[in-house]
Amino acid sequence: MFDWSREVVLAATVLSWFIIGAGLAQTAVYLLQLIIAAYALSKRPPVARSALLWHRYGDVAPPIALLVPAYNEEVNVVESVHSMLALEYPNFEVIVINDGSKDQTLQSLIDAFRLVKFHRPYEEALAHKPIRGLYSSPMTERLFVVDKENGGKADAQNAGLNVCRAPLFCVIDGDSILEPDALMRAAQPFIDDPERTIAVGGTIRIANGSRVEAGRVREIHLPGRLLALFQVVEYLRAFLMARLAWSRINTLMLVSGAFGVFRRAEVVAVGGFTKGSMGEDMDLVIKLHRHMRDAQRKYRIQFIPEPVCWTEAPETLSVLARQRTRWQRGALECFFRYRSMLFNPRYGRVGFLGFGHILVVDVLGPVAEVLGYVLIPAFWLLGILSTEYLLAFTSLTFTYGVCVSVCSLVLEEAELQRFPRARDLALLTVVAVIENFGYRQLNNFWRVKGWWQYLRGNQGWGEMTRTGLTGVKK
Amino acid sequence: MWYIWDLSIVLSALSLTIMLVLIVRRVLQERRGVAEADQRRFLLTALIAFTENRDREALKAALLSVPASVAIDAGFEFISLLRGEEHEDVVAAFNECGLPTLVARQLERGNGAERVHAAEMLAALRSENAVVSLLSALDRDRSREVRIAVAIALCDVGALPPLGIALRKIGVAGQRSRRLIELFRRFPPKRFEELEDHARRQDAVPFTRAAAIDALARSGGFRFADFFARAAGDPSPEVAAAALRALGLTGHANAPAILVQAMGNGDWDVRADAANAASRLGLSDLAAPLVRLLDDEAWTVRYAAANALRSFGQPGERILREIAASEVSRSQRTASLILAEGPAA
Repeated sequence: MFDWSREVVLAATVLSWFIIGAGLAQTAVYLLQLIIAAYALSKRPPVARSALLWHRYGDVAPPIALLVPAYNEEVNVVESVHSMLALEYPNFEVIVINDGSKDQTLQSLIDAFRLVKFHRPYEEALAHKPIRGLYSSPMTERLFVVDKENGGKADAQNAGLNVCRAPLFCVIDGDSILEPDALMRAAQPFIDDPERTIAVGGTIRIANGSRVEAGRVREIHLPGRLLALFQVVEYLRAFLMARLAWSRINTLMLVSGAFGVFRRAEVVAVGGFTKGSMGEDMDLVIKLHRHMRDAQRKYRIQFIPEPVCWTEAPETLSVLARQRTRWQRGALECFFRYRSMLFNPRYGRVGFLGFGHILVVDVLGPVAEVLGYVLIPAFWLLGILSTEYLLAFTSLTFTYGVCVSVCSLVLEEAELQRFPRARDLALLTVVAVIENFGYRQLNNFWRVKGWWQYLRGNQGWGEMTRTGLTGVKK
Repeated sequence: MWYIWDLSIVLSALSLTIMLVLIVRRVLQERRGVAEADQRRFLLTALIAFTENRDREALKAALLSVPASVAIDAGFEFISLLRGEEHEDVVAAFNECGLPTLVARQLERGNGAERVHAAEMLAALRSENAVVSLLSALDRDRSREVRIAVAIALCDVGALPPLGIALRKIGVAGQRSRRLIELFRRFPPKRFEELEDHARRQDAVPFTRAAAIDALARSGGFRFADFFARAAGDPSPEVAAAALRALGLTGHANAPAILVQAMGNGDWDVRADAANAASRLGLSDLAAPLVRLLDDEAWTVRYAAANALRSFGQPGERILREIAASEVSRSQRTASLILAEGPAA
């Protein structure tokens, strides 16, 4: 008679080893990130005062065009544009691209900046939906508005890329706020190494709870709601640890679409942003890596932690779930679209480390973790796993998670100290502990949902409800 | 099995202990920050009072009563706002209090950002030993950003070694930084020949040669026009483009012939800069080659050529209107777009 119990134990053992293997791989990745990020921060300590930057780089800073795609952003757009026009940078223009908004985005801009129609010759280097009109403002020479038919964020950014004239461009979301010196800080790698630097990303921070006035973050506070607090720790981990580490070894695979500076010529050479992509920012960076590696050119794609862009984090579970499933679909889409680069010696460390990281953390990671949450207790119930091992492994999983979160707080505290009060730090420490019990699991569940949606070919972005940063705290 | 538990306990204990230490450190920093803000305010008040009463002893007493780091930091910002005799007096007070010695120590022992700032402060304070400290840093510092900052500081205090030596000390990797443009622009007129010599060197990095030409064009003026005219034919597109930009500023008797030749260069940057130079110099005789560039494969060149024609006034605009009215082509489209540029009717 066939012994089913032996087969079940064997299958359980294989699955357990898959889960443990994926967990160990993720652990190794996090550990590696932590060490490299700490080294990177120690090698390149931040310049504290922006006045020094102006004194040092003001005369040699290259021109930058800020591309601001706006779709139904009437709540924030005028204030955002005001804050962008007030940036401390010697040579820049702001190009807002109204991507066929259904609300009063364009009219708000016309009213606020007394916009008039304007003809500006530009090269049709990238394809996009038709432009209905260009507008300029008699109030400032720095502002242009492109009104076009709806085609999505990437399409809008491509239209802005065609219209802009600067050698560098900065992408930023219409609802985000750049710190006044953010452009100057982000331009630094382009000044120090202008031939090799083709893209630079900065830090995205969460503005919920902070006092925002006239398009500026005046006082930094932590969010009042737990869900946004979890995201503060999450963002610190993502930016200060992961991106800094990958940037140091020139395998950064993502420059956030909410704030990144790129060299226009290279972006045009790779065909601009990929339309209809869920992760157009990751897609662009991968294309840039591929293009430069194929052309055998030396290049750098960098992340520097000091330039800060403030954004509004979702405060409800439903909106956050939509955002996270979309991010997951974006990562999977990029991974499978450029899968030929995975472990391909032609792409060197980008193929091995960069794509290997996406494979471990984004492709296998959520599936293995959710499988672990479901199967490990099941194995214990079936008597396959002993109680001692269940408890020990569970405890190690959680304490390691806490340790990684705390280490990203250590990096923040040791070098940047952007949270002004000691009690903020204490609160974030507590949050770094409790996010491992519930939030982390929920996040993985959303990511698995993203996997499912990707397999089903779901291409929707989902509605992102915003309250507006000015409404955060007055 | 117990080692797993042990590891968990060690990880959590370590995490929480580190955070506790950081929180305590932050509390202490908050207190120190309040005190430093007060000291900074006190010193700035003393500096403002000094500009009115010129009481150097009172200023020195104020400087010595606050921690040196506060004095250096607040002082540097204040000094950069002053000019002339006032500036000299404040600098003298800082020197008499021995503050540059501390800055020199920061140049040796600080982190990268601090060392760059220390170089800038030493240049501003102009102490007797500043040159020695800066030259030593140019020789020894391991960071190229610091070495470039030190070279700029040395240039400001008039002690930069011969350019070839300075560039060698900065290193090849540092010779691609746009900060070198800043260094070259600070060159005193009596050392312009060094820049010219460097720009001539075929074995030098093209980026630095181009930066040297740009600096000469901005500050040196017509005396280098012959050199720019020769450099416009350089095999390096970066150097040739810089020379054309320079010619656009200074002009030259042979400029029309040089620009016509450059408009046929294989590099689009060179062609665009040739068109821009024709525009700057108002060389309406070059209308024919500029019209040919309206059909160039690179948009930047087409745009520069059309702009140049438009800058010639009525004769140029007439040519553009004729082309815009002709049959559909790349030139026709470029001319139409340029003529339409501006507020909509």
